[in-house]
Formats: sequence, structure tokens, C-alpha cells
Amino acid sequence: MNSIMKVQGVHKTYNGRSVPTTALRGVNLEIEAGSFTCLVGPSGHGKSTLLHLLGGLDRPCEGSIEAFGQRLEHMSDAELARFRAHKVGFVFQFFNLLKGLTVAENVEVAMMFAGLPAKEQSKRAAELLESVGLGDKMKARANELSGGQMQRVAIARALANDPDVLLLDEPTGNLDTVSEGEVLGILDELHRQGRTIVMVTHGAEVAARAQRIVEVRDGRVSV
Amino acid sequence: MNDFRLIMRNLFGSRSRFALTLVGITLGITALVVMISLGTGLRTQIDKQASDLGANLVVTPKGWCAYEQVKVLSGNQLPDAIPPEELVKIEAVEGIETLPYLTVGSAIENEPVPVTGILMADTVEMKRWSVEKGDVPTDGTPTILAGSSIAESFDLAPGDPVTLRGVEFTVAGLIAETGTRDDAVLFIPLDVAHEVYETDGRVSFVAIKVDDVSKVDLAAQRISDAANVAVVSDKQLLASVLSVVDSVGTTLRIIAAVAILTAAFGIVNTMLMATFERRRDIGILKSIGSSNARIFRLFLFEAGAYGFIGGVVGLIVGVIASRLITPYIASNEFTAFVGSATVDAIPPFSQMGLILLGSVVVAAVAGVYPAMRAARLTPVEAISYE
Ligand SMILES: Nc1ncnc2c1ncn2[C@@H]1O[C@H](COP(=O)(O)OP(=O)(O)OP(=O)(O)O)[C@@H](O)[C@H]1O
Ligand SMILES: [Mg+2]
Repeated sequence: MNSIMKVQGVHKTYNGRSVPTTALRGVNLEIEAGSFTCLVGPSGHGKSTLLHLLGGLDRPCEGSIEAFGQRLEHMSDAELARFRAHKVGFVFQFFNLLKGLTVAENVEVAMMFAGLPAKEQSKRAAELLESVGLGDKMKARANELSGGQMQRVAIARALANDPDVLLLDEPTGNLDTVSEGEVLGILDELHRQGRTIVMVTHGAEVAARAQRIVEVRDGRVSV
Repeated sequence: MNDFRLIMRNLFGSRSRFALTLVGITLGITALVVMISLGTGLRTQIDKQASDLGANLVVTPKGWCAYEQVKVLSGNQLPDAIPPEELVKIEAVEGIETLPYLTVGSAIENEPVPVTGILMADTVEMKRWSVEKGDVPTDGTPTILAGSSIAESFDLAPGDPVTLRGVEFTVAGLIAETGTRDDAVLFIPLDVAHEVYETDGRVSFVAIKVDDVSKVDLAAQRISDAANVAVVSDKQLLASVLSVVDSVGTTLRIIAAVAILTAAFGIVNTMLMATFERRRDIGILKSIGSSNARIFRLFLFEAGAYGFIGGVVGLIVGVIASRLITPYIASNEFTAFVGSATVDAIPPFSQMGLILLGSVVVAAVAGVYPAMRAARLTPVEAISYE
């Protein structure tokens, strides 16, 4: 067993404006290299929170998260940023593209944060967009695309720095069945190529594609 | 993609807001440039006038203020306040040369013209005028020595008749261009001026040249002992004139400072709005690997860019405005003698560089707080909801 991520006893409480909310209460989880894991569970029970912690977008209040031999909770802001730039790629339900930029620029920005020279950025962005079937949309504004196209751009962006793990939060939650099929097809292909994938989803059929289904309920994990 | 392009995209993303914010900082810098141009213009011109007076000391009636002393240099009309008996006492002081001036006025073709009565030969020598056409008038004759610009505007040539105060004068000669206020003046012999203007021998002020420059203070003391007049040195005169200019300059600078401060708050406001509106973008940038420090820098540079662009535009507009405004300034009595000199009174490049730097710094400082807010935003909230 070759686990690249190891979550141990993680607690997370949000200090909201009015009352603090506890989203995770003692999560233990391991992610193996090359695995396809789906996080399922009722709304508001902590799936997104767990995904954000795995990707170093937020910090746990308690417990430890080890990724690729490094302890995320011990990292500085700058180190966490570097971790996000090089090791993980995020895809969100609401696409989260930079609307003022072109499709190609959206992918390039991610490479900029990883320190890639501009010339290589545009070359690689073109390849990635080609691979998700958007070679002809490079110059289009991000907000001129359909939802399915936006999500494919988001996947290309997540792959920009050849991350060790892809973290997706309901990537098909806002898509019609055709677009959903396209996106899932791309994910299957990535998995076949050996990419580690962790995906949050509500759909049972979607989850059925995964090797492993993890249920998040009440801030805890049951396999 | 690089930081610069990303900043530019953000800057021009909302064009109307960009333009409005830019107007503020541009106006501030424009005001500053105009102020400095005019200030520099005044100062150079005053320096020149003072040195062209060719005197070490100026005798004025007692109780003149700085404002009136400015007029000694500007050649404007002054009261004929030094009576002949005092003038005689001054002339009796040893070791000095006295040049009395009677500044009066008249009109040609209904346009006011400055007229000054002088001791012809002595003044021409002391001021080192070169008379390029005609001759130096002889004292006692109704003749005119005309400055170059006034001669040009009224098309005067030696031999032409000019009526001043109902008396017919003849143009005797023209002074070669001096670049000073003298160019705009008609000079007539002092004794003729006394008669025509019925001044009973009184003069406006007296320029004194001290034979031994090291004894200027002593000469000043002697003159004020001998006669009931005030004596100022050219340096004091310059200082008091500059103090007037500076007090005007200070007012202008305060206006510029207020304009720039207002512009700075405009930038704070714009950047805070941008921070708020781009919460999601900030979250996205962080999720794809931007550090907080990088976000801070992006926002700070974006604010600084307002200062740079506004500064460049302000400098250009300011230089143009200085040139356009000069004629209006020149028609004001107090600043009239700035005249054409302001045209080249544009701030030197080093100063423009400093202004630009200042503009960028002010804008960047204005961006610090918004940039801090942007850097501190937690990404999770911004990217989680539609
Ligand atoms: N930024 C935040 N501030 C405060 N509370 C939060 C924040 N994010 C999440 N929460 C709370 O934490 C709990 C877990 O939220 P989370 O988003 O992880 O749930 P989820 O399982 O992803 O739900 P969904 O399926 O609806 O996306 C919820 O009660 C939510 O209200
Ligand atoms: Mg969620």
C-alpha cells in the first residue's frame, strides 16, 4: 500500500460571523497513489471542507495531514501556496474561472504561479486545451463558454502543473448529462493514465465509477 | 501570462472605474506641475529682473511692503513718493552712483503702456543696454527710448511721433531685446517726465550702485542717516520678493496637496471595491497556487499603476496647461513680469521624475490597506458559492 496522503484525527471548526460551526470532527483517511476516490454524503456534512484541507486551501484546527511526506499543518502560507501550485489541481462545482481572461490565459495563470516561463506556458496550455477538446476556444473569453466547456477548461487548468493529485468538488453538479459524460470521460482517461483523483459527488452513478467510495457523515468518515 | 499582464487585465477590466480613478490622480499631478512651472517661472524671472536692475541698493519711501518692492522689479506704476530734497541728500552721499526712477503710465491707441522716467545716459550705461536702432535720447527733449517688445507691438521706429499725456514725443531709439520687463517699457528722460506728469521733482525709487561692493552695508547706513528713506539691498529685495512668491507658492502647493490627497482616497476606495468585487478571483488565484504575499503584491502594483499612469498623463497635461495658462497669468498685475519667461519654466526632467515617483508612491501607499485586505481573504468562502 502506497499512500500519498494521510489524514489523522482532523477537526475543523469555522468561526462564522454568528456561531462557530464544526464541519469535521476526527477524520482519518488515506489516499493511495493512482487511486480514484469518491467522497459522498449528505449536504453540509463536511465533504468540501475535507477536500479543501487535503489541497492545502485551508488549515485543520486539530490533527495532521501528511501529503507526499510533508505535514501541511506545519507549512507557512508561502509553502502551502507552493504546495497548491505544484502538487494539487482543484476543480470546483462553480467552475471558478477568471472571467476577465481568455481560456488560454486561465490555464497559463496556474503555470505562472508554478514559475513556468511564459513561452512554455502557452505551448503547454494549447496542448492541455487540445486534450480536453477545446483547441479552438483558446482565445475566447472564459465567460463566453457553456458550463461543460468551462468545466473542461477548469480541468485543463487543474492539470497545468502536472499535479500529483486532482481534487474535484462536484465537478458535474452544474452540468447536463451530455457535458457530465464528457467530463467523466476525461476523468476516467486521467485515472487510466495513473493520475490520483479525489472527487466529491452527490450522484450514485457518478460514484459507481470510482474504485473506492468514502462516506462523509456528520464530520466523520466511514469507508 | 505574467504578473504585469495580470495586473493590466485587472486594471482595465472595469474601464469606467479605471478612467474615473485616473482623473483624480491626473488632476492632482497636473495641478502640481502647473504650480511648480509657474513658481519656477516667477523665481527665474525675478532673479533676472533683480540682476538686471544693476544696483546694489534700492532706495524706497519708508514703510513699503514686499508687495510694493515686487513692483520695483516689475516696472509697474508706483507712487512718486521720494521728494527732490531727499533725492539731493542721497546724491550727496559719497561713494555711490544714484539712478532715480519715475514709473508712470500712459496709453497708446487706448492701450495702457508703462512709461518710466530715467537719467538717460547713466541708466543705459548701468543696465548695459545696447541701442540697436536710433540713438539714446538726450535729457531735456521729449524723446523716447523704447523697449523691443513694445516697439514691435506698436510698430515703433526712430522718428515716429508718440503722444504721451497729450504731449508729442519722438521715438529716438530702440533697445535690443533684454528678455526682461524693460522690453515692454517706454523710457523717457526724467526731467521731461517731471514736467509732463507734474511730479514736482518727486521720483518712485532710486537705484544705487555702490562703488566699492564690500562697503554696501556702510553705504546703506549712510543713505538712511542722510535722508528720510528706506534702503534695501538687492539681496533683501530679492528675499522679500521671493517671500511673496513663496506665500503664493505655498497656497498653490496646498491646493495641489489636497488634490493629490483626494486622489489617493479615490484610489483607496477603488481598490477596496476591487477587493470586494474580485473576492472570487482572489480565491481562485489562491486555489491555483498564489501565496498571500503575491496577492498583496498584485494589488499593490495595481494601485501603483494608477499613480504611474496618472502621473505620466498629469505631467503631460500639466506642461501643456502651464503653457496655455501663462498668458492669463501674465495679464495679472502682480505676475505680469513673468511674461514670456514661463514658457521655458517647465520643471526640469529630474523634478518631473521625482513627481512621477511621488505619484507612484502615493498611489501605492493608498493601495496598502486594500492589498492587505485582499491578501487576508480566506479563499474557501469566496469560491464555494455561486
Ligand atoms: N467558510 C465557512 N464558514 C463557516 N461555515 C462553513 C464554511 N464552509 C462550510 N461551513 C459549514 O461547515 C459545514 C460543512 O460544510 P461543507 O461545505 O464541507 O459541506 P458539504 O458536505 O460540502 O456540503 P454540500 O454537499 O452541500 O456541498 C456546513 O455546516 C457549513 O455550513
Ligand atoms: Mg460541498
